[in-house]
Amino acid sequence: MDNELIVFLLVCIPLAGSFLLPLVRLISEETRNLTALLLVLASLVASLFMMPVVLTGETVTVQLAGVNLFYADKLAVFMAFVSSLVGSIIVLYSFGYISHYEHRDEYYFMVVLFLGAMMGLIFSRNLLALYLFWEITAIACWRLIGFFRDRNYVVKADKAFLVTVFGALMMLLGFIMIGTQTGSFDIGIIKKVLAGKHLPNIAVMLILLGILSKSATVPLHTWLPDAGVAPSPVTALLHAAVLVKIGVYVYARLFVASFDIDEIWHTIVPIIAGVSALVSAGAALVETDLKRIIAYSTISQLGFIFLGLAIGNNIGIVGGLLYILMHSIAKGGLFLCAGIVEQNAKTKDITRLGGLISVMPITAISFILCAFSVMGIPPFGGFFGKYMVIAGALSGDKMFIAMLFLVGAFMTIIYLFRVFVMIFLGESKLSLQNIREGSNVMVFSVALLAMLSVASGIFIKFPFDFVQSAVRQMTGGLL
Amino acid sequence: MIPAYIKIMPIIFPVFAGLAVLMLEKKRNEIMCAWTCFIATAINLLLCASMFGKEWDLIVPWGGMFDFNFSLRLYHFSSFILLASAGFGFLISLYSFSFMNGKEKINQFYSYFLITIGLVNGAVLADNLIVMLFFWEGLLLTLFGMIVIGNKTAFRTAIKAFIISGIADLCMMVGIALTIHLAGTMSMSEIHLQISSKTAAAAFLFLMIGAIAKAGSMPFHSWIPDAAIDAPLPFMALIPAALEKLLGIYFLARISLDLFKIGTNSLLSTIMMTVGCITILLAVMMALIQKDYKRLLSFHAISQVGYMILGIGTAVPAGIVGGIFHMINHAMYKSCLFLTGGSVEKQTGTTDLTKLGGIASKMPITFVCFIVAAASICGVPPFNGFFSKELVYDGALERGRLFYFAAVLGSFFTAASFLKLGHAAFLGKSPDDTAHIKEAPLPMLIPMITIAALCIFFGVWNYFPLRVFIQPILGEHRLEGHDFAGMPTNVMLIVVTLVVIIGSIMNHIWGAEKSGSGLGAADHIHDAPLLHTIYDKAEQRMFDPYEIGMKFASWLAKVTMSIDKVIDYIYNVVVVEFTYAFTGFIRRLHSGSYALYVVWSLLGTLIVVLYIMRKI
Repeated sequence: MDNELIVFLLVCIPLAGSFLLPLVRLISEETRNLTALLLVLASLVASLFMMPVVLTGETVTVQLAGVNLFYADKLAVFMAFVSSLVGSIIVLYSFGYISHYEHRDEYYFMVVLFLGAMMGLIFSRNLLALYLFWEITAIACWRLIGFFRDRNYVVKADKAFLVTVFGALMMLLGFIMIGTQTGSFDIGIIKKVLAGKHLPNIAVMLILLGILSKSATVPLHTWLPDAGVAPSPVTALLHAAVLVKIGVYVYARLFVASFDIDEIWHTIVPIIAGVSALVSAGAALVETDLKRIIAYSTISQLGFIFLGLAIGNNIGIVGGLLYILMHSIAKGGLFLCAGIVEQNAKTKDITRLGGLISVMPITAISFILCAFSVMGIPPFGGFFGKYMVIAGALSGDKMFIAMLFLVGAFMTIIYLFRVFVMIFLGESKLSLQNIREGSNVMVFSVALLAMLSVASGIFIKFPFDFVQSAVRQMTGGLL
Repeated sequence: MIPAYIKIMPIIFPVFAGLAVLMLEKKRNEIMCAWTCFIATAINLLLCASMFGKEWDLIVPWGGMFDFNFSLRLYHFSSFILLASAGFGFLISLYSFSFMNGKEKINQFYSYFLITIGLVNGAVLADNLIVMLFFWEGLLLTLFGMIVIGNKTAFRTAIKAFIISGIADLCMMVGIALTIHLAGTMSMSEIHLQISSKTAAAAFLFLMIGAIAKAGSMPFHSWIPDAAIDAPLPFMALIPAALEKLLGIYFLARISLDLFKIGTNSLLSTIMMTVGCITILLAVMMALIQKDYKRLLSFHAISQVGYMILGIGTAVPAGIVGGIFHMINHAMYKSCLFLTGGSVEKQTGTTDLTKLGGIASKMPITFVCFIVAAASICGVPPFNGFFSKELVYDGALERGRLFYFAAVLGSFFTAASFLKLGHAAFLGKSPDDTAHIKEAPLPMLIPMITIAALCIFFGVWNYFPLRVFIQPILGEHRLEGHDFAGMPTNVMLIVVTLVVIIGSIMNHIWGAEKSGSGLGAADHIHDAPLLHTIYDKAEQRMFDPYEIGMKFASWLAKVTMSIDKVIDYIYNVVVVEFTYAFTGFIRRLHSGSYALYVVWSLLGTLIVVLYIMRKI
């Protein structure tokens, strides 16, 4: 098959297919669920197909009506693979989770649209197309956060929408600045026109506002913990597969792979990320709402990813990309476990939970395995990501920033253990009689993510080699 | 040429055996688990013994860039540690046969046991720093697992152990990243750095934190006494007493001998010696007042690490040889002591010293093993501990009287606390219902006897371990022509040691008479003014670095949480209020008054006209 066609289908199958889901519902509930899964799997399969293609060093550009619309290189395929992998597991999990609630048509429609828009964003070669997909995700996310139509929840959804759209509009201003300066919105053409010159600092700052708001970094982060009111698979989607990874991906795409930025940003962004990692780690240690804790943990770990990408050397960039993969898998697992706990124990307050390991052992073990990966303990995948990121900071001679993150890493261990202990160990404050393990498909999903966390560490060679060659391509063969 | 699959056998064989044990269903296959573990450790011992004295490398690419290879290196030092840990693994798995019988979660215990041995072998063999860190940090998992399967409250201790070790391991990770950055290579055998910059000193300090924390030195020690109560006993004899000491001191010796060159006049050497002395003294003072067999031993497991760190920290040949010799000696007598504690626990059902007493005649073999091991740890000639301690003293004296004095004072209290322990547990009045107590079963006795015999062997024939195992580690040029085998040459040191031991015995007799029991023999120290208040606070864990650290973490968390709350307040209140105020203002302007609207329009027109005329 034609490579251009594969990339085109990779994006368009979920994007267009999502609109058909409410129609497929007319056949049967199960058919719609399976179709939703198949649409996301199509992206996964397509990104797998693209892997050998891009590994040869080839890049694919898809033209539509004379405009360079999509562009596939190693970075894009890597990201598409991560998102669609975790995305499909989350959709699978939804079969069990969402069957308890109303508005299932809308749920599947929005989730698949969300993932489709993510794919579009990943492969966009045009800044305006990127902005377009960016806003589609914002709309889908707004609908999904307020999925339980409680008035209070809708306010939180509005907050998430307003903050991210504020950031997106700033980013659009930045894009327009670049567009008027270079005369094009095509990333490839802009790169040629700039020819190694730096982007104007104002434009970088504006785009950074968009990135930081989407990737929930201090001080634009508070919408993310609030978004915990969404159904658990949605929060998993926001944290692991799609939403917050958009920001770091666009950072990698624009500021690492495409354009040169001023040296000063290699210090500013790590410091913002470090403050973000610390502030949110502290918040995670104090909070008592299960999903808010994991949300703060995401903000904290995104700091590590930003540190790696922004530190300005290849070790750090490799670490940042690896950590995107590892964090997606592990954090997805944590949220899905939280979903099982929440749905079966009917509460998210960790002070009221306890001793659940005796009634939901598989969930408990999956939770701790995913937590080990986020803490960065070998043989779990997170270890390599975290090590490379900190090693990157140290080889950039940024001792102070590395120390900031070291404290962040200490706190990570402490707050994740605190959550685990308070939910799964000790004496239960609830009656455990009515609490059971989640449905088979849900438990299977979390166990799968836990297994993937282990496997990605033991077989680190494969992601490592791929990411290394991606970084080599991004930084222009400097390695 | 040894094929690669044989070379990685010491790592993957125990790990896979461990995973296989985990699969066994526990109820039916209790004996199967024990046998599998026993056979696997026996095979591991044979493998490691067959590797002793050989040298080879194994390099498998693990990820092309940054020369990230899965590389192993067997040479004298690593093969020695490999052999020692395999030996302890074998003996303690034999011991566990009887001890763990009938306990819960037995399959998990044996599984973690085997995986631990595999990971230790990996960490010792690794030549690539990242590969080493991979195995080293992997031990956190089995550490957590082995403690958590203990009694009901064991999970708290397990978490404490995990957090303390995890933080130390993260420090080591930073140290490794810095070292690789400075050296430009990950291969340990190629790194020889000078401490020439602050970065290099920081790298060494971070690596040192990892090494001494693994060995259980202060301030990373406080989980060990808790684990002594909560965790299964063979765990204590295997991991904190033997394997972690071997691994931690192995790495400390590697970094201060190979990776970095620590000179005798350097600040880093003084730091190491100070840490060593503080650990010796504080931990032994705590050991002195314990009233539980296992908890008392666990404080000695901390205290003795001080001698090893002190020895290696002196950076003179006698001290380094003494430190490494003390490592292997300590692993022997301390695991033997824990094993005697295990037999007492198994046979009497308690390790509380207030409930024990007079069991020497009921358990004579255990008692003899205890005496041998206790004499070793106290440094009584001619047992092994005597010779290694003399070497450490020799090195410490060369560097400064203060360090020597601290080390000797530590010995005084060590002897005092073991006299108290032996007196309270084995001699003295026996409680009423001791008639049923019998000697421990054979699988528990064999390991104890073997290790006790080795303690005597390593003492009397100390030229064998010194010349075969330890002195070659330093190599000819670093030994500077010394040979430390045989009796210590400095007579003054021996006299001081003997005086200290006799003093300690007299102190014990005096204390026991004063208080009327062996258990109370140290009460006069416990109740001394000033010391008493400090002891009370220490018993309440006021000085526990873990508790202090946790308090600091929760303080930091509260501070950052308030920052977060302020930011959230801006979104939730400030922005919203501002928007309301602004729109309210605009709304009030739309008052419906035509006159006012006309004025607005005229003003607007004026501005437009002025703009067109380029006046503004």
